[in-house]
Amino acid sequence: MREITNQIKDIARKLFEEKKIDMFLAWEKSEFDFQSMPFFARSAEEVEKIIFDEFSVHNLSNALLRFRDGKQRIGIVVKGCDSRGIVRLLEDHQFTRDRLYIVGVCCPGMKDPLKAFRNESGFEKTANADLEADKCNDCIQPNPVIYDVLLGEEQPPRMQGERFKKVKEIEAMTPDERYAFFEDKLSTCIRCYACRQACVACNCRTCIFDESRPQWVGREANTSDNMMYHIIRASHMTGRCIECGECERVCPVHIPLMLLNQKLIKDVDSFFGPFDAGLKYEEGAKPPLSQYRENDPDDFL
Amino acid sequence: MKVMKKAKVEKVIEALAKEHDVYVPIQRGAQTGFFSYRTYNEDYDDIMLDTLNVYQPPKSIVFPQTEKMYGFKSEGQKINIDQVFEESEPKIIFGLRSCDLKAIDYLDELFFTKSYEDEFYRARRKSTVMIVNACYNPGTSCFCDSMGVSPNEPENADVLIHDIGEGDFAWEAKSDKGEAVTELIKDLLEEQEATLPTLKNFKRKVDYEGVAEKLKDMFDHPMWEDMSYPCHNCGICTYMCPTCYCFDIQVKTAGEEGYRFRCWDSCMYREYSQMAGGHNPRELDKERFRNRFLHKLQFFQERYGEPLCTGCGRCIVVCPAGVSIIKVIEKVKEADV
Repeated sequence: MREITNQIKDIARKLFEEKKIDMFLAWEKSEFDFQSMPFFARSAEEVEKIIFDEFSVHNLSNALLRFRDGKQRIGIVVKGCDSRGIVRLLEDHQFTRDRLYIVGVCCPGMKDPLKAFRNESGFEKTANADLEADKCNDCIQPNPVIYDVLLGEEQPPRMQGERFKKVKEIEAMTPDERYAFFEDKLSTCIRCYACRQACVACNCRTCIFDESRPQWVGREANTSDNMMYHIIRASHMTGRCIECGECERVCPVHIPLMLLNQKLIKDVDSFFGPFDAGLKYEEGAKPPLSQYRENDPDDFL
Repeated sequence: MKVMKKAKVEKVIEALAKEHDVYVPIQRGAQTGFFSYRTYNEDYDDIMLDTLNVYQPPKSIVFPQTEKMYGFKSEGQKINIDQVFEESEPKIIFGLRSCDLKAIDYLDELFFTKSYEDEFYRARRKSTVMIVNACYNPGTSCFCDSMGVSPNEPENADVLIHDIGEGDFAWEAKSDKGEAVTELIKDLLEEQEATLPTLKNFKRKVDYEGVAEKLKDMFDHPMWEDMSYPCHNCGICTYMCPTCYCFDIQVKTAGEEGYRFRCWDSCMYREYSQMAGGHNPRELDKERFRNRFLHKLQFFQERYGEPLCTGCGRCIVVCPAGVSIIKVIEKVKEADV
């Protein structure tokens, strides 16, 4: 990883020196060894702070949304899943390719700084020995799919066994069991919207949940409003979730949000596929559910 | 000194629960927080008096995330308010820490002083007894003493309990309310010699001295933009914070009936500062980020004489992006104005 850090720094420094970028998105170390955090370098001097290590888990493509209306040219480090996030932004016309210099890093799987901090915090009874980010266990694409330069050796997918195994378990439940399962999970939601904010596919300028005229979803933190929130958010992810797993990772009450996303990924794949969102970028391509056709059979209506 | 032996802890809670809704720090599955003992299930739950603290602070017991205020019914042109949902059932928060008690003191300041008294808050607060678990082992993310909180000698506790080892707790009633609950369980306590632990050193310190004053001239400082870049503007820090109290008042109607409720709101949300005419005074992420810290470190200090942070460290632990209020304070101290 140290070698990759040095390579990233060299690239970033060169880009600044050649005036090819205005900003470079990577990570820096905070107070604790396990605390890698997103870092926005704006000069060759600041490049020295950059690190890339086993805790560089965040999907930085989401941070590009902050600059979508600007003209800055931005260098960014992406892992496999993050690079699918870039495809998401390009397909959604939130960013143009010519403003980006993408440094792809083949990802060996990441550790989760939130997990590590939980262990240290004293806010839980038991420590979690395994610091691996849970999301990496479902990874099908550790290698970047879009990049200007690629670092590290290609990695095999980390997902072991059958894909969508957990989704199939839920599908096998009776409707009542399933309702009870999700009621139990979603009733604890505190509506902090961290899942939405960490999501690169949640790039609407005004989110339906922030609308007040009309107010589509109630603001009470109860099972009914919480379910409404999560069902709408999940359906907005249909065919768009790039499986970076950040929503579930950042959830402070551990709602298994990727179960909902995986279900929709599975459905889109079986109804309109084979298809996985953000696996390749083709200009002008129209992925499923992103186009309107007069002759759409819509026989479900 | 009165001592609650390890074997009696649950009995004490049970005895108190006869006349009170007792909230206890519990590990419930992956979550930790103060849950009502009525919902305690020994198959799933683990009482946490021996850990540092819990994720979800106890503020929701006196100031729930969602709280009905009143119900109404319309009849023709008239609207009748037919229900007021004041909640004054006797409650005990059992085993909260000093930082979280101090946070409730701040809620008291907010809801009881400066010419306004909130009756919904008052009903809950006045009927709540605070049994504080004195803290002798500050954790990795703790900095309460830097924010003017005493971890082991809190003011305003009704009862103070001290972990004297082996799972036993020394028990000191500190107020009339405290005496009254002690009376309820006096047969479960034993009289014995007990040495209180010594307070261990804090691993983290931050110098808040002069920060509020300095912030007056830092509204347009570039540090806000720099520091706000990693922030997602989600509401984790505000909802996990024991002191954050912003709320919204809304209404739900179904046909002729409805109710008005209030629910927590977060200054991190764009909608929070959205105005009826369409203008938003805090449109940018960095403006919302700045507001959160100015409120905590400057505005509350100016109005109430203390910062709106008790150093519990929760926001630092749970922030998905690694934002730290300690670093913000340090940056303010270092900044050139």
